[in-house]
Amino acid sequence: MALAIESTRFGHVEIDPETVIEFPDGLIGLGGSRYALLTGDPGSSIVWLHCIDDPTLSLPVTDPHRFFSDYQVELTDEDGERLGLDDSTSVDVYVTVVAASELSAFTANQKAPILIWNGRGHQIINQAPGCDLRAPLFAEVLSARSGPDPADA
Amino acid sequence: MLNITRRRGERIVLGDDVFVSVLEVSGQTVRLGIEAPRSVRVYREEIWLEVKRENEAAAHAASAALPNITAPLKADSGPQNTSGTVVNRTPPPAS
Repeated sequence: MALAIESTRFGHVEIDPETVIEFPDGLIGLGGSRYALLTGDPGSSIVWLHCIDDPTLSLPVTDPHRFFSDYQVELTDEDGERLGLDDSTSVDVYVTVVAASELSAFTANQKAPILIWNGRGHQIINQAPGCDLRAPLFAEVLSARSGPDPADA
Repeated sequence: MLNITRRRGERIVLGDDVFVSVLEVSGQTVRLGIEAPRSVRVYREEIWLEVKRENEAAAHAASAALPNITAPLKADSGPQNTSGTVVNRTPPPAS
């Protein structure tokens, strides 16, 4: 049976219970214990992480590897142990996106990625060096576009 | 706010299973040791606060500014296809 949320952003949304992601600790500072990834367009690189228990709470997120070619996630030993994660675990990585009116002003938070695996999600503090709280999301795309041959972008 | 004076080597206990030790006091700096169950997340406040603010900013930004979220929503069926391209998400280059 489908779950339904009356999203304040999107209206009535039906969610396949199979796609529900449990967040035992919620998102940092925001809470919420169950979310789902929603998209309006299968080809879209930005998707919505929508809270199931709070119809007013949804965040755009994206796969950082699409935008930041050398992006890495490093956990503290404590987080690795707490989450039962090691190098062999395959996880989906998302970063939160702050939208703006101009694409060049979109930013993504590289410092607090959301890791999702086995139907569970955790937002962690990334220990990898050089992570930016507000990394321009389209910087690599736009600089590739402004290069001498945009067709190669 | 509860206000407690501690010396080096002394601890406080939060609930039954969180112990905060004063390891070292040097000038304006205090080193604390924290023993807590794995399920307890421990952050430096400024990091916790900046992530909270970015999460809130992401949640409150106008959706109209987001590209291509126009079709009816459906649940994402699985991991994102990371081999996809992002170039169609930007306006065409001026020619």
